[in-house]
Amino acid sequence: MIKKLCGISLSVLAVFLIFSCGPNRNGNKNGGPGGSGAAKKPCPATGNEGSITGVVKFDGMPPASKKIDMSGEAYCASYPGEKTTDDVVVTDGKLANVLVYVTGGKLADCSFPAPSEPVVLDQQGCRYHPRVLGIQVGQTLKVTNSDDTNHNIHPLPVKNGEWNQSQAPKGTPIEKKFSNPEILIPVKCNVHNWMKAHVGVLDHPFFAVTARDGTFTIKGLPPGQYTLVAWHERGDKGTEKTASITIGAKESKTQEFTFGVGDVASAGPTHLKIETALVLP
Amino acid sequence: MIDQKGIEEKWEPSPGLHRFAVAVAVLTVFLLVAGALVTSNEAGDSVPDWPLSFGRWLINSDYFVANVRYEYSHRVIAGVVGFTTFILAVWAWKTERRTWVRRLALIALGGVVAQALIGGVRVLLPHYKPIIAGPHALVAQSFFGLIVGLAVFTSRGWWEQRESQPDSGRPGLRSLTAITVGTVLIQLVLGAGFRHQAFGIIPHIVGAVAVTLLIVWTASSALGRSGSDPYLRRPAMAAVGLLFVQVGLGIGAYVARVRSASDPQPLEPLISLTAAHVVVGALTLATMIVFMLRCYRALVPSGERASGIAGSTRLGSSTQGAAV
Repeated sequence: MIKKLCGISLSVLAVFLIFSCGPNRNGNKNGGPGGSGAAKKPCPATGNEGSITGVVKFDGMPPASKKIDMSGEAYCASYPGEKTTDDVVVTDGKLANVLVYVTGGKLADCSFPAPSEPVVLDQQGCRYHPRVLGIQVGQTLKVTNSDDTNHNIHPLPVKNGEWNQSQAPKGTPIEKKFSNPEILIPVKCNVHNWMKAHVGVLDHPFFAVTARDGTFTIKGLPPGQYTLVAWHERGDKGTEKTASITIGAKESKTQEFTFGVGDVASAGPTHLKIETALVLP
Repeated sequence: MIDQKGIEEKWEPSPGLHRFAVAVAVLTVFLLVAGALVTSNEAGDSVPDWPLSFGRWLINSDYFVANVRYEYSHRVIAGVVGFTTFILAVWAWKTERRTWVRRLALIALGGVVAQALIGGVRVLLPHYKPIIAGPHALVAQSFFGLIVGLAVFTSRGWWEQRESQPDSGRPGLRSLTAITVGTVLIQLVLGAGFRHQAFGIIPHIVGAVAVTLLIVWTASSALGRSGSDPYLRRPAMAAVGLLFVQVGLGIGAYVARVRSASDPQPLEPLISLTAAHVVVGALTLATMIVFMLRCYRALVPSGERASGIAGSTRLGSSTQGAAV
């Protein structure tokens, strides 16, 4: 009988491994913003660089904010401010927290040195600030804790190393770097399960996150033909809009993106995945 | 094949050992509840180190907030279950004369240690969470089943003389209950895989259909063949009752999950429904294990001669001994 039970247990394990070793459900559907993998060379500025400015609009009635339950920790619950979701921020029809980045063209052949100044991700009021940020490969991500409570910072990358680190109240900043381009890495605090952020890692500096008024600016772009991508966190793996754009010498272009109600209808990539074929009406 | 040959007629299992095994089983249910709450609240990585928690064994109240409450409580209850399992193994080793019971107690101790190590790997290698979740659930449920089995083996009901009946019908109840136990175990692991996003809901739904059919088939067979014997009727009825509760909880948990997909965090009723679904699943497994063991205790394969008395260890008969 014991042998039978052992056999059953091993069979169960085998069944589980067969199911769990299928296609990577967390994989990046776009293959990431990186280049072809060929050796890249520096592409110094020539003085002919152009720029892209634009705005991301939102068409329709944005989804109502949902209440966040912070009752599990007195500090968070008593922190001033609304305790509602901020993943879809629309002001006067303009959408904030959209990562806009350039891909294609010359960028695949060029290397760009990482800036020496870090990108800061702060924890304040038991939320991440900013909620969406871009960073270059090799650039330092500096995580600070302005709160009087313990947090943990847990990025969930697919192409970079995963780490999960605790940070004491107003503790020493944590500094990390990402070695591979990846759009976008969800970041969560496992102590406070409502805290979420997204980090876009690119191998060039041509990206921006829309401000509260939906605007963005990308400067110093070498002349060429590119694809401009606007990424918002809502949707199964986020939602993207793309546009082809050609930048001439010293040219400034404008580009507009529009997201609709359907684009932000489903939850972001890190919460409660469900077999979509069986989603109830 | 486990027999009770060679046991002195006067010897009986310790009632204290049986009560202690029941207590460990109850503690294990609490551990399963705590583990389910960890997953339901997405708290598995809230304490990033292991075996210490934030660098210490006992954390202060400043740390014991929000999701850390679930993860740390899970660790503490796991420690209690581990310690009581150690006592159970030592107790069984000192007082039990059935070698196979002593060995089962040692296997249970090994299981709880293995489970702690798997839990540690889960914490230290969060990237492999979906793959580790399956073995963690499998060992948890298997350990629980083993403790339930030890509670049965050390009970007076198991030891007392009992008239044996032929396991008539095709398939026999002994085989049918064993297959059902295996299927329930597979289903529990499939549920864990879904909860930890190793795969979608389809395998779990297929498993639910299989388990439902098997439990209904097994219970109706038992009631039809041995319905007058409360020794088999009671676990059969309990299994069917738990099955209905479990299916209801499963549907409720899934609907709650779909309805809350846009929520910023896991909220009620999703948390309670999913935790209850996990625990009732474990109780279903435990009931089926008791049912299976009783079938092996009370029934003899129809090809063998029904001896009249099953498991009469006082008579020292190997063929009449409880065969599991």
